[in-house]
Amino acid sequence: MPESVRALVERFKPPVSVGTYGTVFTDTSEFMNIGYGDVIDVGGRHYLVLGDERERRFGMEDPKFWVKRCVELESGQYRILKLEFQESFDQHIGPLTITCHRSAAKEARILRLVAGDPRFMQGVAHKDGRGNLVRVLERVAGRRLDLNIEDIHTSHREYFHDVYPGILTRFIGACRAIHHLHQHGETHGDIRRDHLYVDHKTGDYCWIDFDYGYDSVENPFGLDLFGLGNILSFITGKGVHAIQELDSGALAITEADCALFFRHRVVNLRKLFAYIPEDLNRVLMHYSAGSEVFYETVPELLNDLEPCLDTLRRA
Amino acid sequence: MDVKNILISVDASSNALRAVDYAATILAATPGVRVTLLYIERAPNRDKFENEKAWLSQCRLEEERVFEFLAEARAKLVAAGIQEQAVSERKVLCSAEPSIAQTILDVQQEGGFGTLIVGRRGLTKGEEFLFGSVSSKLVHNAKNCAVWVVQ
Repeated sequence: MPESVRALVERFKPPVSVGTYGTVFTDTSEFMNIGYGDVIDVGGRHYLVLGDERERRFGMEDPKFWVKRCVELESGQYRILKLEFQESFDQHIGPLTITCHRSAAKEARILRLVAGDPRFMQGVAHKDGRGNLVRVLERVAGRRLDLNIEDIHTSHREYFHDVYPGILTRFIGACRAIHHLHQHGETHGDIRRDHLYVDHKTGDYCWIDFDYGYDSVENPFGLDLFGLGNILSFITGKGVHAIQELDSGALAITEADCALFFRHRVVNLRKLFAYIPEDLNRVLMHYSAGSEVFYETVPELLNDLEPCLDTLRRA
Repeated sequence: MDVKNILISVDASSNALRAVDYAATILAATPGVRVTLLYIERAPNRDKFENEKAWLSQCRLEEERVFEFLAEARAKLVAAGIQEQAVSERKVLCSAEPSIAQTILDVQQEGGFGTLIVGRRGLTKGEEFLFGSVSSKLVHNAKNCAVWVVQ
């Protein structure tokens, strides 16, 4: 490591101990070779690499070698650097296989579009010395919405009457945020419940990760609408309700009551919780195997969902 | 609208070729028909490609594929007995908005086409939800024309 960069590390004393002084990278093409103690020099700043980010799902951890946890040496702030990794891969949604791609350019465009908008992860994109688009992201000061909900240890009835109206209000705000992207010709591309964070201070919701894209199709927002429906079902049910965990015979649950793509997940939640209002349940049923009508745009979804909030507030 | 003024919307797929075959069979014995083969061009998603060169290369490939398809479709119609000068081709560029279906309907209205013919992919309910269906939208939204959907 050059003396000048070593001096930077020592001058700014990052809030971690640096055991080794690695290499300074101005070209991030070989991101697998960039690791702890290395420094990425991009956009006129230096980022000390602490390690690879990991994706945590279903109790498993997958390292993401192209996503680096860093400290910006000039400011001492934690940053996440997403290095350019262009790939196409198959994604499975129930029985369907969809080819999607990871695009740094797409995420960079969206970061520019949502700069200063707290409903979205914030960051900027810079080209490294080789022309790779590096996204420098601020860490979202919050926690995943689904983990917050899983930590609510009350009955569903209490949750639904006391907590859910507030969650639905904020979720509607998150839907409007997605509509904002759509209005600008963009999609989120990977709407999942672990991609929606709750801000520690304000309680507002914040979307993360915008680098997934798909081929143009006739209904360009379909996948985003599908993701919003999954989250709506999760927050309304206070979790996922799998048919095998229920007495489906006693509850008279049929295939038409389950999700279109996940035939084991019940979306007709009124059969489980009779106090869920009919109009709200009708929204959920648009995502069921029995539905013939689907939402194509966020306004269509919100036209049905917003009145449900009024009903809940009046109750 | 003139029912003999016919618009066949194609996408260079085997489904579209089936629609052309069907139209050729039905229309061959009908005097006075005029057929327009319409291709709605949508550029490949630039985000999918690592650089401009790769994207342009794919654009060229698709252009060649469409050129060959339109030539084949025209040949089928003429071989069935439709007069050469009664068949024309049109390419229209479509961005993400409006949709392909809306672009087809705009062309249909502007051109006074009384019959609209399309192939159908046969999507499942789930695929239709996620991706949308051009033929379903045409059936639901077409005005002042007959829509033939060929499976």
